[in-house]
Amino acid sequence: MLKRVVAEAAANLLASRQRSALALLGIVIGAAAVIAMLNVGAIARNETIRQFRQLGTDILTLRADGNMGLGHFQLSDLEALPLELLAVREVAPFVIGGGSAQHEGQVAHSSQLGITAAFAQVTRMRMREGRFISDYDRFELYAVVGAGLARQLSTPYAPIRVGSPLRIGRYVFTVIGVAEPMLHSPMMPVDIDSTLFVSIPNVRRIMFNPSLSMAILRMQPDADAEVVVGQLQRHLGPKLRDQRLSVQSARQLIAGMQNQMQLFTLLLGAVGAIALALGGVGVMNIMLVSIAERRREIGVRLAIGAQPGDIRTLFLAEAVLLSVTGGVLGIFLGIAGAWGFAWLSGWEFVISPTAAPLGAGVSVAVGIFFGFYPAVMASRLDPIEALRAE
Amino acid sequence: MLELVDIGRSYRVGPGEMHILRHLSLTVAAGELVSIMGGSGSGKTTLMNIIGLLDKPTSGQYRIDGQDVLKAEARELSRLRNRLIGFVFQSFFLLPRLNAWRNVALPLMYRGTPEAEARSRAIAMLERVGLGERTEHMPAMLSGGQKQRVAIARALVGEPRVILADEPTGALDPKVSQEIMDLFLALKREYGVLILIITHDPGVAAQCERQVVLANGVLTEVVPAC
Ligand SMILES: Nc1ncnc2c1ncn2[C@@H]1O[C@H](COP(=O)(O)OP(=O)(O)O)[C@@H](O)[C@H]1O
Ligand SMILES: [Mg+2]
Repeated sequence: MLKRVVAEAAANLLASRQRSALALLGIVIGAAAVIAMLNVGAIARNETIRQFRQLGTDILTLRADGNMGLGHFQLSDLEALPLELLAVREVAPFVIGGGSAQHEGQVAHSSQLGITAAFAQVTRMRMREGRFISDYDRFELYAVVGAGLARQLSTPYAPIRVGSPLRIGRYVFTVIGVAEPMLHSPMMPVDIDSTLFVSIPNVRRIMFNPSLSMAILRMQPDADAEVVVGQLQRHLGPKLRDQRLSVQSARQLIAGMQNQMQLFTLLLGAVGAIALALGGVGVMNIMLVSIAERRREIGVRLAIGAQPGDIRTLFLAEAVLLSVTGGVLGIFLGIAGAWGFAWLSGWEFVISPTAAPLGAGVSVAVGIFFGFYPAVMASRLDPIEALRAE
Repeated sequence: MLELVDIGRSYRVGPGEMHILRHLSLTVAAGELVSIMGGSGSGKTTLMNIIGLLDKPTSGQYRIDGQDVLKAEARELSRLRNRLIGFVFQSFFLLPRLNAWRNVALPLMYRGTPEAEARSRAIAMLERVGLGERTEHMPAMLSGGQKQRVAIARALVGEPRVILADEPTGALDPKVSQEIMDLFLALKREYGVLILIITHDPGVAAQCERQVVLANGVLTEVVPAC
C-alpha cells in the first residue's frame, strides 16, 4: 500500500520534472544550510578541544601593559610566584620578538622567544631531537627550533638537527634541540611550532630593546581560575607600579570562543530555517498548482470510489517525497559545504552524528507541514465540480 | 433496483432559484438497458450525478435495492459508488499518467484488492473489451474508441450492478460509436448489468430496450412505435 502510494507520487513528480526541481531547490538549500550549520559547529568544537588538549585548560597567560605598548616584569617577581601563591604550580616568563635566521643559505623569518627552562614544562613541549634550553645555558649561543621552523630552514642536503649552525644577526647559534610538531594554541601569542627559542640572557644579542612582558603559568589542578586571577592581581599588581597586569585564562577564552561559535551557529541556523520555510512555501505552491491542474483526475478518482483520505494521502505523499528528496540532497550538499569550510580553515573535518537524522527529520516535517493544507484542499474537492473542470 | 421518486434539484443562481429537475420519478430494474435523451442543458448530467451518488437532490427519495441512499454519509457513499456503480464519461477521463491496465485497476485498488490480483483482473477485462494487446499503453497512445473501451473496462472491472454512461459516444465518429454500442449490448447480456446511457443520438437510443426523454425537469417514457 505504502509502496504503491510512494511509486505513484514519484511518477507524478517525474511527470512535471521542471516544476518539481524548482520546488526541490528551496528545500535543498534550507536543509543544506541546517546541516552545514550543525557540522561546522561540530568541526569548531572539535578544533577547540584539539587546541586546548595540547596545553590543557589550567593555563593562564600574564601580560604587563605599559602606558605605551607592552610593559615589563621583573624576572624574579615572576619566578617567585610558585613559592608565594599556593595555587600556582609553575611559571614560564618569556620575551617576545621576531627576526630572521639563516641556515645553509635558507632564510626564514619567524617569531623568537626568550625563555627559561620552565617554558617546555608549562607548554608540554616535547623534543624530537636533542634537549630544551636549560637555566645553566645562560649566555651560551644555543637555540631550540620548533618543528615547522626546522622544516623551513632545512635544505634537502642539510636538514636542521642538533649541532646545525644558525646565523641570527651577528651571532651564530648552535641548534641543541628540535621540537615535535605542536598545534597552535589560542593561549599563546605566537605559534610555538614555528618559533625559535633562546635563553633570556641571549635576547639582548638578537632583539632590539627586548622586554620581559609576558608569562605563561600553570595552576594547581584543583585551582579556581577566577580566584587565582584575583590573587595575581593583588600580588603582582603593586609590584608593577604604573603598569597594568592583564591575565587571561583558558576557560575564559574557551567561553568566548564558544559564544562566538554559538552566534555563528545561530545565524546559520536562522538562514537555514528561513530557507526551509521558503522551500516549504515553494512545495505548497507547487502542490496547489498541481492540484488545480489535476482537478478532473481528482474528480474521477472520487467518482470511482476513492475516499477523501485516499486523495489526501496521494498529495501528502507527493509533498513529503519532494521534501525528503530535497532533504537528502541537502544533507549531501551541507556536508560538502562543511567539508569545504574545514578545508579552507585547515581544521579537522568531522561529521556531526545528529546532522543527517535531524536534516532528514526536519525536511519530512516541512513536507508534512506545508503539504497538509493542499492535500486537505484536494480531498475536499466536490467531485461534480472537479469533473466539470476543463 | 433503482428507484427515484419525486426528485427535485435546483440551483441557487443569484437571487432566484433554477429548477433543473422537478418531481422526476424513474424506476429501473436490474439488468435493464435504458437510454435517456434530452436537449443540451436539460439536466441529464445532473440526473446522472444524482443516480451515481455524486450529488444529492434538493427533494425527493432515492432508493437502491430498497436502501434509502440519501441518508448515507460520505464514506458509505464512496463505498457504494466503488462497489455498485461504474461511470463512463463522454471524454473518457482516463488518468493520463497511468497506463491502460492501471487505469482499469483503479476501482479495485481503492477497494484494497492486492496489486497482483487487480492487475490480472484488469488485463482480463481489457481482453474482454478487445484491448488485450494494449494493456501497457498510455492513454495518449490510444485512439478515441480505444480510450472509451478502456473506460468501459474500468467501469466494469469491479463487477458493479449499474453502469452510468454520460454521452459515451458523443466524442466518437458513427462507426466507432456503433462499435461501442455493440460492446454495451454484449456486456449487458453477458454480465446482466443495468446500463443507463445518456445520449443525443436517436440511433443509439433506438438500440435500448427502454427509452426516456428528459424535458422541463421530468422524464417521459417513449413508447416503442411498434
Ligand atoms: N453548480 C451549478 N450551479 C448552477 N447551475 C448549474 C450548476 N450545475 C449545472 N447547472 C445548470 O444546470 C443545467 C443542467 O446542466 P446539465 O445537467 O449539465 O445539463 P446536460 O447534461 O443535460 O447538458 C444547465 O443549465 C447548467 O447551467
Ligand atoms: Mg451533460
